[in-house]
Amino acid sequence: MSQQENGGRLVLKIAHLYPTLMCVAADRGNLFSIEKRCKWRGIATEVDPIYVKQTPDFTQYDLILFHGGADREMEIASQDIQAKAPSLREAAEAGTVFLSVCAGYQLLGHSYKPFEGPELKGVGLLDMHTEGSSERFMTHMALECDFGSGKQILVGYENHSGRTYLGPKAKPLGRVLSGWGNNGKDGGEGAVYKNVFGTYLHGPLLPKNPWFTDFLIQRALERRYGKVELTPLDDTIESAAHNAALKLAEAYKGTVSAIEATHWKR
Amino acid sequence: MQTKDVKSEHKEQARPQPTLPAAESPSGIDRARLALAISAGKLASASGRLLRIGGGTSLPGMIARRIDPNVLKSVVGASKARKIVITGSNGKTTTARMTAAIADANRFRVSQNRTGSNLLQGVTSVAVNAASIFGNLDCDVLLFEIDEGTIPHAVPEIQPDVVVITNIFRDQLDRYGELYSVAKALNKMLESLPETATIVLNGNDPQVANFGQNARARRVYFGLETMEVGTPVPEQSADIIRCIHCNHDLEYKVAYLSHLGLYSCPNCGYTLPKLDFAATSVQLASDGEGPTHTTIRTPQGDIELTIPLPGLHNVYNAAAAIAASMAADFDITKSDAALSHIRPAFGRLEKIQAGDKTIYLSFVKNPTSFNLIMRLIAQHQGKKHLLLAMSNTVVDGEDFAWLWDADIEEIVPDILDAICCGNKAEELAMRLKYAEVSTDKIKMIHDREAALDAALRNVEPGGTLYILSGYTPTQELRKIMQKRGWVKHYWEE
Repeated sequence: MSQQENGGRLVLKIAHLYPTLMCVAADRGNLFSIEKRCKWRGIATEVDPIYVKQTPDFTQYDLILFHGGADREMEIASQDIQAKAPSLREAAEAGTVFLSVCAGYQLLGHSYKPFEGPELKGVGLLDMHTEGSSERFMTHMALECDFGSGKQILVGYENHSGRTYLGPKAKPLGRVLSGWGNNGKDGGEGAVYKNVFGTYLHGPLLPKNPWFTDFLIQRALERRYGKVELTPLDDTIESAAHNAALKLAEAYKGTVSAIEATHWKR
Repeated sequence: MQTKDVKSEHKEQARPQPTLPAAESPSGIDRARLALAISAGKLASASGRLLRIGGGTSLPGMIARRIDPNVLKSVVGASKARKIVITGSNGKTTTARMTAAIADANRFRVSQNRTGSNLLQGVTSVAVNAASIFGNLDCDVLLFEIDEGTIPHAVPEIQPDVVVITNIFRDQLDRYGELYSVAKALNKMLESLPETATIVLNGNDPQVANFGQNARARRVYFGLETMEVGTPVPEQSADIIRCIHCNHDLEYKVAYLSHLGLYSCPNCGYTLPKLDFAATSVQLASDGEGPTHTTIRTPQGDIELTIPLPGLHNVYNAAAAIAASMAADFDITKSDAALSHIRPAFGRLEKIQAGDKTIYLSFVKNPTSFNLIMRLIAQHQGKKHLLLAMSNTVVDGEDFAWLWDADIEEIVPDILDAICCGNKAEELAMRLKYAEVSTDKIKMIHDREAALDAALRNVEPGGTLYILSGYTPTQELRKIMQKRGWVKHYWEE
């Protein structure tokens, strides 16, 4: 499967934020997806886990991953990330690619007010704020995105009580086809600002949306290396998983909690 | 769902005393409704077995509850039997099985529910089947394993004498949202128990050990306390690795399974409680098959056990069962004899002969159980043929993200081939691909019977097939094997 076309010249530098703190919904699958899809094309990856109390220069990275956690973990991350925030903002302005998921996504905004408990301060990198609700969206989700090369679909599973509202500087990542997205009202899901992407999609997101993985890899590499062509990979299994998830999202459209609407037998 | 035969010696045993006020005396109409509910439930149960449809485990309870919503409370609440409830993420079934074995060795008559019928309907089914139509239960011990999310609803109806919490792992996030919301509800339930009840807690679990601090009920702790097994740090999917009081990273003297271990907080001093039932010595079999030798320190002295089951998890199960048994006033000196012939529960690394081939059937449902079974299998000789099966249902869940938290990478060099089945076949196949199992070794076959046949065709005569499957697929695969005469129906076990 490995392609030597790029001759191992390219190196993708990844910062994985709080890998043991913000890791609740198996989102490390996103990292696996990026690493393997680079490896299979002969692109090298260097991954730095970034823990609490570490304040690296984030502008040296091509791609920054920031995943989900429960409210308790979020509180720790919210406090700690204030020291990292200036460098994260600098990296974002310089075009570094970010993928943030769920609690990580929420913390890139201005603030997160849990349903119970005090408001948590975010990084303020995405123009948005989030408020907790007593109702939790826990179901399959599909959205339609367009990053300039036609409409494409993202699929996954959402599990959040936060309702996110975007300000004028952030655009939604996509339009909800099924599921609830940012707040269940305005039809938007996730956020984009420059190369910063945020979403509520778990699943994990990237393995079953290989086009999006490749899009992030390409964006991240092109910033450092200029125009990059990614060798196509055989995505038979990934496409099957994508289609299966899309079918589920369609079948569970309108459910707040998939588990309550599911079958006893299959 | 069985009531064991009365043993004549039992008559000399002291009957357990009811610890809670007797149910209010019901009116004629209430009594008639109760009788109708029980009869309808029993009828559903009998026809389910006769027709061999479903597990026959949830429907009777569902019907009975519809006729009389108080049926569980009327039957169980009024019973003089000792009531033991076992909950937690992993180990419920085997702990219940071991507790039942110790009760049986004490010649108590036990009624208990089965895996998968651990939601409210299933629990009600047990009560309905074990009761006379007038709502009288003729057994000495009622043993319930209950889903951790169902507990807050079930406990007020059952009014248990003993509650065991085995552990809380990352599990069922699609059902309960967050790990902490499950923990919060469990703790609230424990605080509602009367002072006559006993709470049995896993002291090695930093979160569970802190449960019931304001409870009136007595608390006892079980766990491991040895340096003979374990690792220096918890595995990746461990959940509670920060102090529950001050959020500082916990320090581990040794980690046994996931976040279970000998922990302490260097910041605030939080550490595990003194263990009343501690495995002070553990010798695991190196072939991944057992038996397991362990010494359990108890308030009544050391108990030496030889358990014919593999793995550290079964040491936890045994320690929990002995703790629950003592809390229920069973004679725990009978534990070794009781546990020495215990067989694996349905689908717990269950060894099945399929003609000239061997099958190991394993039910896995979260990263902790997946990793555990995978590591046991890795100790078996030779390269492995696998069948992986997952499906989304009410019992199995909707979100299978946890597969990406399982450390499948560890077993990859050992995999000869893998068939992925169920309606999560694609996700399974993809997980294997990203663990770098070569795609020509992976096949997706949705149909369970076709998948089983294909997987067995991969196995050479005399060879072994390893099945790791979710709850419903385990049940369905076993049903196929039962039709072929490879296993007994689990009612007949």
